[in-house]
Amino acid sequence: MTSRFERLLSIALPAATAIAVTVTWQVAVTLADIREILLPTPLAIAGSLGRNLPSFLQQALITGREALAAFTLAVVAGFAGAALISSSRILREILYPAIVALQLIPKVALAPLFIVFLGIDAEARITFAALLSFFPILISTAIALHNTDFAAVRLCRSLGASGWQTFWSVRVPFALPAFFTGARISSTMAVTGVVIAEFITSREGLGFAILDEGSHSRTDAVFAAITVLCVLGLALYGAVKGLEMISVRWYRG
Amino acid sequence: MDTIATNLAEAPDIDRGFIRVRNARKIYAAGDKSVEALSEVNFDVARGEFVAILGPSGCGKSTLLMMCAGLEEATSGTVEVAGSTVTGPHPSIGIMFQDPTLLPWKTVLQNVMFPAHILGQPDSEYRDRAHKLIDMVGLHGFETKRPHELSGGMRQRVAICRALLKDPDILLMDEPFSALDAITRDEMNEVLLDIWHSYAKTALFVTHSIREAVLLADRVLVMTRRPATVVADIRVPFGRPRDMSVIETPEFAKLCAQLRGMIEHGTGKSARRPGDGPVLQPGRHGGEE
Amino acid sequence: MTVLPFIEQQITTSGDASATRRLRWSMAGLRPIVLPLLFFLLWLGGWEWVVDHFPASRSVLASPSEIAAVLVKSFPLLVPHIVSTACDTLLGFALAVVVGVALGGALAQFHRLNQALFPHLVLFQIVPKIALAPLFVIWLGVGTESRLVFALFLSFFPIAAATAAGLSSTRPEALRLCAALNAPRWRTFLCVRVPFAIPALFAGLKMGMTMALIGTIVGEFVTGQEGLGYVVMFAAAGADNALTFAALALLCAVGLLIYGAVVLAEVVTQRWYGAPFVTEGFN
Repeated sequence: MTSRFERLLSIALPAATAIAVTVTWQVAVTLADIREILLPTPLAIAGSLGRNLPSFLQQALITGREALAAFTLAVVAGFAGAALISSSRILREILYPAIVALQLIPKVALAPLFIVFLGIDAEARITFAALLSFFPILISTAIALHNTDFAAVRLCRSLGASGWQTFWSVRVPFALPAFFTGARISSTMAVTGVVIAEFITSREGLGFAILDEGSHSRTDAVFAAITVLCVLGLALYGAVKGLEMISVRWYRG
Repeated sequence: MDTIATNLAEAPDIDRGFIRVRNARKIYAAGDKSVEALSEVNFDVARGEFVAILGPSGCGKSTLLMMCAGLEEATSGTVEVAGSTVTGPHPSIGIMFQDPTLLPWKTVLQNVMFPAHILGQPDSEYRDRAHKLIDMVGLHGFETKRPHELSGGMRQRVAICRALLKDPDILLMDEPFSALDAITRDEMNEVLLDIWHSYAKTALFVTHSIREAVLLADRVLVMTRRPATVVADIRVPFGRPRDMSVIETPEFAKLCAQLRGMIEHGTGKSARRPGDGPVLQPGRHGGEE
Repeated sequence: MTVLPFIEQQITTSGDASATRRLRWSMAGLRPIVLPLLFFLLWLGGWEWVVDHFPASRSVLASPSEIAAVLVKSFPLLVPHIVSTACDTLLGFALAVVVGVALGGALAQFHRLNQALFPHLVLFQIVPKIALAPLFVIWLGVGTESRLVFALFLSFFPIAAATAAGLSSTRPEALRLCAALNAPRWRTFLCVRVPFAIPALFAGLKMGMTMALIGTIVGEFVTGQEGLGYVVMFAAAGADNALTFAALALLCAVGLLIYGAVVLAEVVTQRWYGAPFVTEGFN
């Protein structure tokens, strides 16, 4: 197998699979005469998407805005928290039980609490989603900051660099890959958090749209709304990935 | 002292060419280019001979060994073992790699018996032999230890036992001691010399250490960089049983210097064909360069 | 759980390299346990004190003592909900293990299948699958089936991915050894590939178990019938803070118990094979 053939296959095979699945779906549902509300055909979904696009986009804007806000909060708090934890042993020991506890709690179960405490508007959803997405960044960055190559840190100390200087010029660059790994997971969690909250508050946003269409048995619209949400999630993930590539190249050459 | 050289002339053809490599070539496809790793390699190994393949890193020595082991196929040319062409892993070949590759969840004894275990053969057949081998390499008492409790040298000793478990006719070794520190490496050379005294198997030993090659082998094949060929076939004049004291002899140093010169010059003497006879006769060496 | 690295950090920073192998029952060894425990109790005490002395906080919090009281008092009422959540999670997870391991094995074994599915699997990883909960309600109603299957849906993939990764990352030297020994493929798989894949497999199982619990809880939010997630939602809406936190505590307990079961299975498997698996001992 030459490598050119392999490269071609690695694009052709997945594409063919996608097409095959879509076609089979369309044909099977039509032939087996499955009810519309159970499993709509891809064409029906596409149609519903076309019809509902304006309203879905509006909801997407709300969900997207909130997810972005939550993600930003999570990044800032996560990075700051990681810096704090990795630098101070005392703090680490004090905060350790809190972190363990929050890791052990299935955090999604906290959603109703946030909504009751903070209301049924954006604040509650943003804060909840931020809590969900804060941890991946905190943990992965803290570990990476703490585990910076010992030899590099020793070099800094021998050159008389302060803790602050060491932090920014050695620890952070080393920790960047881990930070972005956490950030990518966080971006997904931010969207997930907002959607879960929207399920409960059921007022606005794509999560609400999905629920609403579902309650009216408009399954094709449910699929369409889910598709829009997937695109949103992918867009955010892609943005983070793009930022990762830029900053890693800039910082590390 | 009996040397293989004097017996070679009288040995029957099949014993002589226990391993026979003829015009072996190996071409790799790398991306859109092809790389010739081995070019026109020819040599014989007689039964019971210990042959070292010596050359700089990356010159295809390992590829040659893999071909003899049946783990890789020659692009052209033939590799014969005991008269039949090699098409796959030969059942009576023991192999050692640079990496001892011990399974971390098995004990020393279980690792030694792995060749039997992996083929579903009953333990009882090989258990005694395994214990004997473990004792012979000096690991008595370590049978129940796990690899992470052993040093690098000890792990390679386990690998030796594993390679010898099924009493193979041929032992192939691909730089088995290269990853060890110098002191441990010397220890392992001693272990191998001791084993050779008892087992006297046909062996192909790949190394990039001149000292190791001369110490362990009956014959040294010198190989060039890619595309690799055998440029010299030097007989080692020391007999068996051998021990580390041969290193002190002036003949040893001269032979090492000679080999070093060949490697540095890249081509040294032209490629030799089997049957050309030994380069150095026993008892007549030194003073020629 | 990703908290554990902190334990390792604590041990290594106490300065002794061999302590990473065994916790020594000396002051240095106990410190990583005693100190956090101490701070945890301090947190609890502080919490109790804050609620007692700041009545305003009662609108959002309940003191630990109140939570404990509610737990004891309402336990019989909570039992069916505990059972519902636990069963949905466990069954969903168990099925996910079967499906996930099978899929992971297939992906590791059939290179073309892997190639055909790879981009789709990556996308599947990234998209917010949680949004499909209402779909499962449409398909399976508001009963235990839809929650269970949703839990299965969320958790099978991490397991499959981990299994595939573990099986395909067998050290090439080990495979080369097996080839040199003329070992048949299935024996190589069983005796070498599988043991090497076990750490990755259990990492996947832990991840999958977490996702199963999340799926059950979100399913309970959406179906709104029973289960501890439902109780949290219901109690929070009724401003019954003590009950809310009590249900939360029970949720944690359920999660911990199932997680503990997975860890136990891991320990048993390691014992059976003979730990350690860490490739530190590989060469």
